[in-house]
Amino acid sequence: MSNSVLSVRNAVKRYGPVRALDDVSLEIGDGEFLTLLGPSGSGKTTLLTAIAGFTELDSGSLSLRGTDITGQTPDKRNFGMVFQGYALFPNMTVAGNIAFPLKVRKWNSSDINTRVAECLALVQMEKYADRLPSQLSGGQQQRVALARALSFRPSVLLLDEPLSALDKKLRADLQWELKDLHRQLGVTFIYVTHDQDEALSMSDRIVILKDGSIQQIGGPGELYNAPRTPFVADFLGKSNFIEAEVTGGAPGAVQCAAGGESFTVASAAAPATGSRRKLALRPERVRIGAPGAEAFTGQVRQLSYLGERAHVIVTHPGLGEILVSCPTWKAGITPEPGLGVSFGWDSDACVFLEDA
Amino acid sequence: MHNRSFFRIFMQTGAWLILAFLLLPMLVVIPVSLTDKSYISLPQDGLSMQHYTNYFTSAEWLWATGTSLFIGVGVALCATVLGTAFAIGCWFLSDRMSTIARWILITPILVPPVVQSLGFYRFWVQLGLIDTYTGVILAHTLLALPYVSISVFAALANLDRRIPQAARSLGASVWTTVISVVVPAAKPGMMAGAIFAFIVSFDEIVGVLFITVRNVQTLPKMIWQGIQDNIDPTIAAVATVLTVITLVLMAVGALRKS
Repeated sequence: MSNSVLSVRNAVKRYGPVRALDDVSLEIGDGEFLTLLGPSGSGKTTLLTAIAGFTELDSGSLSLRGTDITGQTPDKRNFGMVFQGYALFPNMTVAGNIAFPLKVRKWNSSDINTRVAECLALVQMEKYADRLPSQLSGGQQQRVALARALSFRPSVLLLDEPLSALDKKLRADLQWELKDLHRQLGVTFIYVTHDQDEALSMSDRIVILKDGSIQQIGGPGELYNAPRTPFVADFLGKSNFIEAEVTGGAPGAVQCAAGGESFTVASAAAPATGSRRKLALRPERVRIGAPGAEAFTGQVRQLSYLGERAHVIVTHPGLGEILVSCPTWKAGITPEPGLGVSFGWDSDACVFLEDA
Repeated sequence: MHNRSFFRIFMQTGAWLILAFLLLPMLVVIPVSLTDKSYISLPQDGLSMQHYTNYFTSAEWLWATGTSLFIGVGVALCATVLGTAFAIGCWFLSDRMSTIARWILITPILVPPVVQSLGFYRFWVQLGLIDTYTGVILAHTLLALPYVSISVFAALANLDRRIPQAARSLGASVWTTVISVVVPAAKPGMMAGAIFAFIVSFDEIVGVLFITVRNVQTLPKMIWQGIQDNIDPTIAAVATVLTVITLVLMAVGALRKS
């Protein structure tokens, strides 16, 4: 990345026999919204706390705009951080909390007052300046934590699952606000979450971690549409997996066979003929229709109505169970358990996965 | 029904008897302090305040009271500062070594006072601290440390570890973090610890008997000697005054809480 603000090189952190970070290298661009996404134990929080300076790396280095900060203590790094559970100072008012980093930096009191007012306005908390954190709701505390972490104009803001303690509706609202704030301020956001929807909706780029190593890095659309490994395909959204044999073809139209059926995969790279590869197929890319309307014939096993969409499990004697997600308003047929249907997909719907 | 009411009466009588057993020896000092005789006895021909007058006018008694207060406050200060520093340090580390250190620090509670006092005596002789205020304050501080550190530990148990981390990430040094967010959280424990430390010191006699001679005269030692040398009812007056002060403080505390 040309305008990298922060780089992580070969970071390793062990806890006993467990490698929480296993040779992680990452470039974070200036002003980007980068999400570290993974299940618990994937190393995402370890990576964030290593960037913040709370976790000492066993090996590897961190640098901020070319300057090595590996050995620097957290207070010298000048990164804002929003903690899970907010970590507001209970003995200080809202204004006191926001003023804390400014007082530590020995700003004069009129500058502090101006800046605190600015930050309160930024998160729409002007009315609550004199409240104690214990007198605020979860969402309000979250805003104060955000204002506090931004008050000293850090170049990088680290967020550790900041929305995880909030209810679903509030979380959605705050996602929009965080995104607006990011665009408005131009600060680099490094955001840790285990929630794939949060990651997809907010990020410029997502880093998917598993067992302490990076699985794939990319934009939300890129990761969703072109997952490289079964883990990524399964962790971000739902996927059908098909074990297929490559029977021929060329880049752009690879012939595959699986479960006694053959089909074409529009893949830019053509795997060797005769090799066995795993394919990922998104449920919403599968079409379902009356018998004969689509390429393959199957039977509906189960149906789950979700409001805007319905999930249908179709069984096929060779391919096994295929999950189909179709819009409920134009299903064309009413799938019922036991009903014979046909199903199929476009040639660009399947993605070749690496064996991992 | 009959059996049940018998059981009730039995239990209630038992409870009251136990309470009386606990309280009466304490309360008996009140009539004794009002005796009109010059030796320890119950009032015979009438009530007299002469022993109270004696306490409040005797230079020796007042000096001993002052000494105990001075030592108690000194101990409360020293033990609170040291115990808090210890507890905060252990809280930050919270590893195996700090757990071991915590156990070692509370041994003064476990060791018999006589054994410990003997230790103080042997050691204080070598340090030249026998019969000095410094010596008594130091010994009492050691005895009071566990109480302070335990109550500060209890206060810090509720402190979210991310709070000091937040302070660090916002640019505060370790020292600023401790002063601005950890100490405020420890404060209730420090207050309780300081009161404990004061009481431990104010009440302590075994150590004082071992490590002081003439120069340092504390109130418990004075009472002890009063019993030994003469059977002056002033002791009862002192005891009554202390009991009343304690009751008043407890009542104030209870009222403030409610």
